[in-house]
Amino acid sequence: MQKIIKGLFVLLTAMMVSSCTKEDNFDGPNAAFKGRLLDNDSKENFLTETGGVQIKLEELSWSATPTPQYIPSKSDGTFEDTKLFSGHYRVTPVNGAFWPVEGIEMDINGTATQDFTLTPYLRITQFTHELQGTTLIMRFKLSAPVETGLPRILDVKPFVNTSEYVGSGATISQYTDPNKIDINSSWSADIAAKTYEIQVPNLKTTRTFYARVGVRVDDSFKQFNYSQIIEVKVP
Amino acid sequence: MKNKIYISIITILAVLLQPSCKDLNIDPLNVIQDKDVFATEAGVKGYLATIYRALPIEDFYYRQEGSGFNRQWEHFYHPGALCGELVGPYGSTYDGAGGFGYWPYGDIRTVNYFIGNLPVYGTGFSKEQVDAWLGEAYFCRAYFYFALAKRYGGIPIIRKVQHYPEQSLEELQVHRDKEVDVWNFISDDLDSAYNKMPAASERGRANRYVAAALKSRAMVYAGSIAKYGSENFVAGAARDQGYVGIPAAAAAGFFQRAWDAAKLLEGHYSLYRKKTDKELNYADLFLDKESTENILVRDYSLTTGTAHSWDATMTCRFMTADGLSRAYPTLELVERFTGLLPVVNADGTPRRFDNTSQLAQGLEPRLLATIYFPGATLRGKQFDMQRGIYEHFAGTAADELGQNPPNRQFRHLAGKTETLFNGMRIIGFTGISTDGDDLSRTGFYIRKYVDYNRAQSQCGLYMSTQSWIDMRYAEVLLNRAEAAFELNNIVDARNMINDIRDRAGAPLLTGTFTIDTVRNERCKELAFEKQYWWDLRRWRIADRLLDNTKYHAMMPYYIADEQKYIFLREFEPFQRSYNFEKKYYYEPIPGGELGKNPNLYPNNPNH
Repeated sequence: MQKIIKGLFVLLTAMMVSSCTKEDNFDGPNAAFKGRLLDNDSKENFLTETGGVQIKLEELSWSATPTPQYIPSKSDGTFEDTKLFSGHYRVTPVNGAFWPVEGIEMDINGTATQDFTLTPYLRITQFTHELQGTTLIMRFKLSAPVETGLPRILDVKPFVNTSEYVGSGATISQYTDPNKIDINSSWSADIAAKTYEIQVPNLKTTRTFYARVGVRVDDSFKQFNYSQIIEVKVP
Repeated sequence: MKNKIYISIITILAVLLQPSCKDLNIDPLNVIQDKDVFATEAGVKGYLATIYRALPIEDFYYRQEGSGFNRQWEHFYHPGALCGELVGPYGSTYDGAGGFGYWPYGDIRTVNYFIGNLPVYGTGFSKEQVDAWLGEAYFCRAYFYFALAKRYGGIPIIRKVQHYPEQSLEELQVHRDKEVDVWNFISDDLDSAYNKMPAASERGRANRYVAAALKSRAMVYAGSIAKYGSENFVAGAARDQGYVGIPAAAAAGFFQRAWDAAKLLEGHYSLYRKKTDKELNYADLFLDKESTENILVRDYSLTTGTAHSWDATMTCRFMTADGLSRAYPTLELVERFTGLLPVVNADGTPRRFDNTSQLAQGLEPRLLATIYFPGATLRGKQFDMQRGIYEHFAGTAADELGQNPPNRQFRHLAGKTETLFNGMRIIGFTGISTDGDDLSRTGFYIRKYVDYNRAQSQCGLYMSTQSWIDMRYAEVLLNRAEAAFELNNIVDARNMINDIRDRAGAPLLTGTFTIDTVRNERCKELAFEKQYWWDLRRWRIADRLLDNTKYHAMMPYYIADEQKYIFLREFEPFQRSYNFEKKYYYEPIPGGELGKNPNLYPNNPNH
């Protein structure tokens, strides 16, 4: 009896091993999609943070209403995904601090590249900084590339981190929230003329920090438009 | 011989076959027929009981994600813990903002079947009786659609039972209706319910005033979505086509309907004022089954296996027999009642207390009946609340809470109650520990609905039987106050609020006030009643209040060398931050439904 059962198990195992020999005849995710997000004025990379913009991909090869997938932006304003299925996609940059843009329909095969030019809601201009003791002082003005229809401006915040990956998702909160400036007002000549000053006191000594300021408006996403990143060595 | 046998067989067969082709089409006896259900009172009541059982009442069990309306014991997964009413087991607002894919069209079909068939089979009943039952069905249908509309905005309105395979797929794959149409449909159903039902009903079932109460709630939602959703919204195809969002011009009409509906209840219900002690009165309001304030309740019992676990999961094991607590009122909620608590002297130093119960002295009775403060008593035990010990404390509270706290080296915290410092317990029996979260994280516990008369040994899991009050008169007054204020009827709004404040033992409202006063009164009166989440959403202020926000605790410390207590306003120990993305003003249409019915596209913006 035992022998028969053992024999049956051996047979079963052999059958299970041999039964799945058929090959999957669909291609794996062998396509890649990458590109840069560009500021419409400077043609430099759009100032954002990790995940500050999402590239929405809708694969139209199978359905007119696919479930979208998203590629988050890298902190330098580029994006890349190397594990996509080849196909026909509609790609749209969304979820960032810029005026909405129309999507582009394109085929993604091999490595496809597409840059997007974005118009930020606000720019941080004349950005300067100085260190007084352990207090970081950042001064800047705001400018709006498009003024009509600009949503209400919410606030400006400093972001400080110990690595160059710095933004709203990567900051030391004790340095950020207590030092923000609330604006809560529509765009006006006063705001355009004003020089803002943000102070971040009590930085730890003998450390190197990376800092920037961000401003956001009350749109659907409430993401930030950023300044350049500065390096601050606190003696 | 053979022939004879054949002939007799044929004859017998012919005789047997003769009657057999007569009545094959008889009803099976093992399946209950429509006429059995809809033609007998017991059948109708049983059918209605099924509907009431499925009604999406957000009771003790309800959670905004996961198991939704299903029954499990972990009541601390409370929607208030997603949005700053409580701090709890949720890691962030995102845990529950997308909902759990509630899609009760099966239940709506059950109601529609009832509405279609009761008049056919129920001819033996009086017209009043049939109308009363139909009114209940309209009430329940509105209840389901209200639960859908507040989550998804515009969804398909199904008025009649669909038939498959008689109807084609094209007919069955219905389109979404506009959000404004759904709210109007809810309003119409509740009007039908009001007109058909009598003024009184059995406990736990609807009558015309229950329908009016639900209408006041639904219409104040619709009005605020129209008014505030047209200012604060997420752009997208669903909005452009009216599936989410209501034109701002419709707001006043909805508020007027809310006010009118609330007014109907006047004189039929009243605020609970049985006891003269206002704190005790307010606590009992949630426990007294005979409360004059109750409009619609759901009952629980041990024998039906429906008993819940509120007592076992709202306070810690120090006071209970089983279970654990994990959700605690935030200091921000307390400050809605009190403003900043007087724990700091004029010179900035922390005020010294002889004992922790002094903190609660002179506070509003309603607050003390809603939240257990340090030093309060439950089942003969005191809430023994202590975060730690300072050997010595000098300087101001602000400095100690700043980035370079001067007294930090004198501070002792602990994870367990048995940890001692110089022979003294470092933390209290009810918190606040450095480990885990089954003791308070904020210095407070929920008191509302906690049955203080229940013996500790009876406070186990699935042992609590206090009723859930789904609608009570205070909410109707608040609906009316809000609608009145939005309609510029300031006097009426003030009268409603002062009725509530008088019962609460709070100072009456005089002078001018704003919509924020009205809203704050609602947040206080209805705290922990699972309204706060929906209120923040419909006022469209959730993205502002929950903007990477962290919540605070009131931390009691013992100062060893002075033998006094101080309180520090610190972040709650987990320092979780809560963020509400605007897209969550509407939940996404469930993916499975989108897969079955492509006409449900476009999905809500950014989902």
